[in-house]
Amino acid sequence: MTRLTRRLVCIAAAAALSACSSLGGGDYGFSDYSLVRVRPVSVGDHSMIVTPPRPWNRHRPIFFEDIRQVEDWTQNGPLLDGISFVTGLKNGKSLIRQRRSANQQVPLFRSNMTPPEIAAMIESLYRVRGGAVDFRTLSLKPRPFLGTNGFQLDYEHLDDDELWRRGRVVGTVINGQLYMILLDAAKSHYFDATLRDFEAIVASARLKA
Amino acid sequence: MCGRCLELTRRSLLGGGAIAAAALHTGVAEARVRPQDMVPLIGPGFRPTDTDEKGLWKEMDRVEEEVAGSNLLITDPKITNYLKTLIATVGGPAAQDFRIYLAHIPDFNAMMFPTGFAVVFSGLLLRMRNEAQLAGVIAHEAGHFLRRHMIRSWRDEKRKTDIFSIASMAAGIGGAAAGAYLGDYVQLAELGTILSLFKYSREMEAEADAMGIKNMAAAGYDPMEMSNIWQQLIGEEEASARYRGKHRHKGGIFDTHPSEGSRMVDLRADAIELTVPGKKYENYRERYLATIGPIRPLLLDDQVKLNDPGASQYVIETLAQDGWNGLLRFYEGEVWRLRNRPGDEVRAEQSYAAAVAYPDAPADAWRWHGISLLKQGRTGEAKGAFARYLQMKPDAPDAAWVRQMAAS
Repeated sequence: MTRLTRRLVCIAAAAALSACSSLGGGDYGFSDYSLVRVRPVSVGDHSMIVTPPRPWNRHRPIFFEDIRQVEDWTQNGPLLDGISFVTGLKNGKSLIRQRRSANQQVPLFRSNMTPPEIAAMIESLYRVRGGAVDFRTLSLKPRPFLGTNGFQLDYEHLDDDELWRRGRVVGTVINGQLYMILLDAAKSHYFDATLRDFEAIVASARLKA
Repeated sequence: MCGRCLELTRRSLLGGGAIAAAALHTGVAEARVRPQDMVPLIGPGFRPTDTDEKGLWKEMDRVEEEVAGSNLLITDPKITNYLKTLIATVGGPAAQDFRIYLAHIPDFNAMMFPTGFAVVFSGLLLRMRNEAQLAGVIAHEAGHFLRRHMIRSWRDEKRKTDIFSIASMAAGIGGAAAGAYLGDYVQLAELGTILSLFKYSREMEAEADAMGIKNMAAAGYDPMEMSNIWQQLIGEEEASARYRGKHRHKGGIFDTHPSEGSRMVDLRADAIELTVPGKKYENYRERYLATIGPIRPLLLDDQVKLNDPGASQYVIETLAQDGWNGLLRFYEGEVWRLRNRPGDEVRAEQSYAAAVAYPDAPADAWRWHGISLLKQGRTGEAKGAFARYLQMKPDAPDAAWVRQMAAS
């Protein structure tokens, strides 16, 4: 969708529903927060089940950036912290909806990608769409995930709002599809404050039988 | 997906202000401004005397404080001192009054603020082939200050519209306008707001060109490099747009600049006019590369990872006109790898293989060479490449993964 079209959709929707405003997250367009309780919940396209150790907020934008295999959670709002789930992203798809005509593109996922290639794809996501002007890989190492030989990527990035953020991704490719859980939060306080939850969620993750 | 992606979309939606401001300046191209007609309108140590300009300076001092304290700046003293020397060389009578900051933003841009401080984006350093080109851009920016364009533009803007005020600018209100001017990934609110306020008319841009090229030639730089800069930048924008099947968007620095065709012709005419027979003009390429060299991998990394294959490929090939090396071949491979279209894997493999044949191949070239060998099933050779990578970069962040691959 072009920027103009988005805008028109927004204006039209505002006229109809008087609802084109920020809904909790400060984002334009429609978005929807709902409570995630402390119990097993299915995420993304519902193929993955996780159990959070405390309540979280599911953030599901209805327009713009959502794709079915990706789901976002937050504690303090997406600018401060967030956990994202990628559940079975298929070959040739990207982590975020994008226009084909955009000059800068988040690279597409390929089934035969190695962890360094997936890490590079994540880096470009932050640079192209997240406003990162500096991105540092802190570590990339093997880590079991969902019963497979997965990987763990740790990184930090300086964004153009002059804030350093830190992230951790645990992921794996199963049957040519990408599964990941990502934590991304302000480096100061918020990353450490949510890391334990993230680790518990990763440890609880399983695929639906 | 990433928390800020949505935020950036929101800001982009709010970007109408800058577009409105830009629209005020569309007009017909002016006749060429001749360099010999350009004299500086200020002398050394200029301070404003009019009330409105004094007010503008006071606010701008606060803005400079913000800019100087930003953690987006590259503060490597070798490079910042180099920029200071350059602006002092081509800055005319105000040479000693300028300040210059280098922002870590992967885009071609440079700007002069009303009080005589300039901000250069790191993406500019990537794109310049030699010191003369960089000096040309800086001389152009200095030309705006020497010709007092800021206050002229400001007064003109105030006359035309009330949509902006210094107070709102200083408060950062309307910072969203940055989205329209700087591109989606650059949202440095204060800079963006200010940029939207100081859009110069085409006539002013032509004046800055003429003033700049005059000062540049006087300092012994080859004035022909000034038109080469525009040729490179237009070429890059066209390559990027063509790649996506679009027409070139005249955004960013091109917004109000004179139509580029006439501009290049004018600059070439200026250069011929300014060239004094028998005088030696230099482009100081070696000195430029020696200074920028240490951060060139960073600059290439910033550009290539934006996955804008048309632009990145153009930039790399432009730089390679001065000779291919391991660094450029490696990043050529990165362009293909990130583009990831059918056949690109093979192209990337070939570039990595070519890169590691050069003595200056970066460690990462060995890593990606190893990964591509691994994917081709050439395990033994891959292990050799990984060993070389770890030897060059023993504390590599992905050493654990690479060791596992090398051992498997």
